[in-house]
Amino acid sequence: MTTTTAQFRERATIALEDVRLQQALDGATGRFATARQAALAAIPWADELRDHFKAIRAATLANLAEHLQTFERQATAVGTHVHWAQDGAEACAIVTEIAQRHGVTLATKSKSMATEEIHLNAALAKAGVRPVETDLGEWIIQLAEEPPSHIIAPAIHKTKEQVAELFERESGRPQSAADIPALTAEARRMLREQFLAAGMGISGGNLAVAETGSVVLVTNEGNGRMVTTAPRVHVAIIGIEKIAPTWDDAAVWLSLLARSATGQPMSIYTTVITGPKRTAALDGLPDPDGPEEVHVVLLDNGRSPLVGSKYEEVLQCIRCGACLNVCPVYREAGGHAYGSPYSGPIGAVISPLLFGLDKYPALPHASSLCGACQDVCPARIDLPRMLLELRADLVTQGIAHGSEAVLEGSVSLAMRSERVWALLMGMGRVGQRPLLKNGKLALPERFNPGGERPLPALAKKSFHDLWRDGEV
Amino acid sequence: MRTRTTILTRLQSNNRALAQPTTWQSRQGFNDLAEQFVTALTAVHGEPHLAPNLEGATAQLGAILAELGAQRVVANNEAPIADLNLPTRWPHLQWHIVGETAGDLREFCTYADVGLSSGIAAIAETGSVVIHSGSAQSRVATLFPPVHIVLLPTSRLTTDLFTFTATHKNTHLANGTLPAAMTFISGPSKTADIEQTMAIGVHGPKRFIVILYRE
Amino acid sequence: MTANRIALFVTCMVDQIMPEIGVATTRLLRRAGFTVEFPMAQTCCGQPFFNSGFRAQALPLAQRTIEILEPYEAIVIPGGSCTGMIRVEYPHLLQDNPRWYYAARRLAAKTFELSEFLCKLESDDWRQSTANCQETVTYHDSCHMNRILGLHDEPRRLLQAVGYTIAEMEEADRCCGFGGVFSIRLPEVSNAMTAEKLRQGRATSATTLITADPGCLMQMRGMRRNDDTIQIKHLAVALEEAITGKPWSME
Ligand code: SF4
Repeated sequence: MTTTTAQFRERATIALEDVRLQQALDGATGRFATARQAALAAIPWADELRDHFKAIRAATLANLAEHLQTFERQATAVGTHVHWAQDGAEACAIVTEIAQRHGVTLATKSKSMATEEIHLNAALAKAGVRPVETDLGEWIIQLAEEPPSHIIAPAIHKTKEQVAELFERESGRPQSAADIPALTAEARRMLREQFLAAGMGISGGNLAVAETGSVVLVTNEGNGRMVTTAPRVHVAIIGIEKIAPTWDDAAVWLSLLARSATGQPMSIYTTVITGPKRTAALDGLPDPDGPEEVHVVLLDNGRSPLVGSKYEEVLQCIRCGACLNVCPVYREAGGHAYGSPYSGPIGAVISPLLFGLDKYPALPHASSLCGACQDVCPARIDLPRMLLELRADLVTQGIAHGSEAVLEGSVSLAMRSERVWALLMGMGRVGQRPLLKNGKLALPERFNPGGERPLPALAKKSFHDLWRDGEV
Repeated sequence: MRTRTTILTRLQSNNRALAQPTTWQSRQGFNDLAEQFVTALTAVHGEPHLAPNLEGATAQLGAILAELGAQRVVANNEAPIADLNLPTRWPHLQWHIVGETAGDLREFCTYADVGLSSGIAAIAETGSVVIHSGSAQSRVATLFPPVHIVLLPTSRLTTDLFTFTATHKNTHLANGTLPAAMTFISGPSKTADIEQTMAIGVHGPKRFIVILYRE
Repeated sequence: MTANRIALFVTCMVDQIMPEIGVATTRLLRRAGFTVEFPMAQTCCGQPFFNSGFRAQALPLAQRTIEILEPYEAIVIPGGSCTGMIRVEYPHLLQDNPRWYYAARRLAAKTFELSEFLCKLESDDWRQSTANCQETVTYHDSCHMNRILGLHDEPRRLLQAVGYTIAEMEEADRCCGFGGVFSIRLPEVSNAMTAEKLRQGRATSATTLITADPGCLMQMRGMRRNDDTIQIKHLAVALEEAITGKPWSME
């Protein structure tokens, strides 16, 4: 995937013209944002808690190697197999190898941005393993063969009619779009069969707790529990930055995650996985159920070079999606415009950083720099500053358009002398005359689609002129 | 192995001395933990009940099972459930007591009407029950059946996540004591993935009933 | 605020496109008893270049702006975004050079956005106590003014002081869609953002939408239809109208 300015505009235009999608986007992001605000307002010390969380995240990243090693040691001690993956290809190879070793043909998956990021589903399918997404929203978009459009609500762009049609195709039975609970029940029934039949469960991880070697999964539907309980093998793929050194740190993390994401004080299920089922539990007897093998894949994929760089702060992100819900650009353009599994403000920063600035040159500019994202981020990540840094990188790395550089350079040069600038603007006052319509300047279609927003003309007299002529 | 070294070396070269902040102390204070738990769980569509004692709680459980018309019940064999001799008390029901009853647990759970468990703790602020896996604590028993009922003494209530971690640091959260699965359950399974409309009971239980009793 | 000699930095947009905002600002400041000076060498603070990633092109503009404004006791700007650039971004931009860095910090300490400046004054001469207009208006929080400078109450306080009633929008702090070059780079999204802003403005009982930032003003006016039910005005102009009791005029 790539996202140039032209691609962003094209995809955003599709979203803008889709009345139904606009309503869904408005409704969903508005509801999430309002719920988040209420949830944080309910704890009067929320601001201090966020500061504290930021301090935790910063300190963790400063000593990340140590925490990862602690995690590895503790996880291994309870029988978890820990793997390290440099990039998506390596992570996919690890997972498919495990699947093939166990003769797995069907794998159930709980929602995971990390697996979206590495395109795991495609790799599994190629290796003869059918991946089935089990988060309802993820499943819907899997059936529709589309990418997610929101970090925590991947199918907000789908209508119930579209969902009914997809379910009809999948189940071979007629479905009623009018009845959302019935559609949900149908999904429960169809997916339950898959849970029971799957040989492997694949999940992401919202965080990993180093001191006990645990992986923590947060879901509302219960699919996270299903995936980590029913199949014989469980594989969790988790970014190396998602480490909480201790349970004290994890408690702060969990206190902010659901509140920031959906406005819930706590998600319905917070599942903590610490190794495979015990052959001898505390009383010496074996666990009655649970996976026999647990694997954790620690995924780098462009993260470790960010540690110690001017972009390190972005690794404090916990993927709550709060920044999307308040982003005025995301709320109009929708998630698909970004052309990355990560959309919205965090997507605009992290997609170029993880996948290449040259592939996503439009994203640092897909923001009005309004700063609403930073206001709501539980880790108070300064996303606007990082967008500015990325824009500067676009220029210094020569990715920005040559014509743009010429324009910026010459205007800046002219502005370094008030006389040259005044002269230029004086010429503009004359030159604009033929272009004026009702006193306004109509830019070419490319900059002013549909003539919707004409620019004001240059004033008859500049303030400089008024002042000099004693008219102020 | 090479990947591991590459990643760790790169990270180590950017190591900085930055101490983890001191532990966040809970600032939450509730007059009555049980009351707060009931309020919080009700708000998330859970069904809390408050009984004066274990006997009352057991009677409550009987009434709920009858009202549900439950026939097949799977129960985790842990205190206080283990001491209630449920199969003798209600012999008309088909029971699977985890770790005791012979037969396929998973198969039973697939068709069970109710899963019954206790919990190691409950968090008042959020209305969450914390359950552990163990030799007598099945994971699917609290997951597959459409109804999950929890029987829990109020003495296991704790204020919030911070008091939970502080209290259980050396017991339930320490190395070696943390089981293969620990789950915080805060209501019935739900989704809003179709048109942002809330629907209860996707993959997990559709009803989450907690009977708290005072000791 | 004891400064008597203050400099007006009008911003390039006001200078070339909306000079009336500069005129209104000057009148307000003079009424408050200040001798207003206009350093003629000023052009642009450099923000458009900085925000586009062209830092090397922004740098000389920042340096010359510092030099031009340095001699004055206080600098007043009728725009939150440019004030934010000088106050917050200049020190960032110049942090590698101690001399310039300190100059930037010194300038930052005496540069004020208009409403912020007026609110700091002990006297309220700027408004003449007779000002009492009856109009209901709604106020748009420009992003940089609100989030970078934290100026949320100040413009509202001024509006109320001259008699305006404020009917708040659903999301007064939602971006108007301008974002500088963003509005030309991604015009479809930018326009949709502005349309939403105007929709929220029209949904109030206000007859006028007021903003303290020339950029937002230009953006929203651009999307305003001729027969629109809502007017869009800059804070300085709205204040002048209320104080004089007459529609704005350059005379
Ligand atoms: S950047 Fe902050 S607000 Fe956005 S997803 Fe990450 S943690 Fe949440």
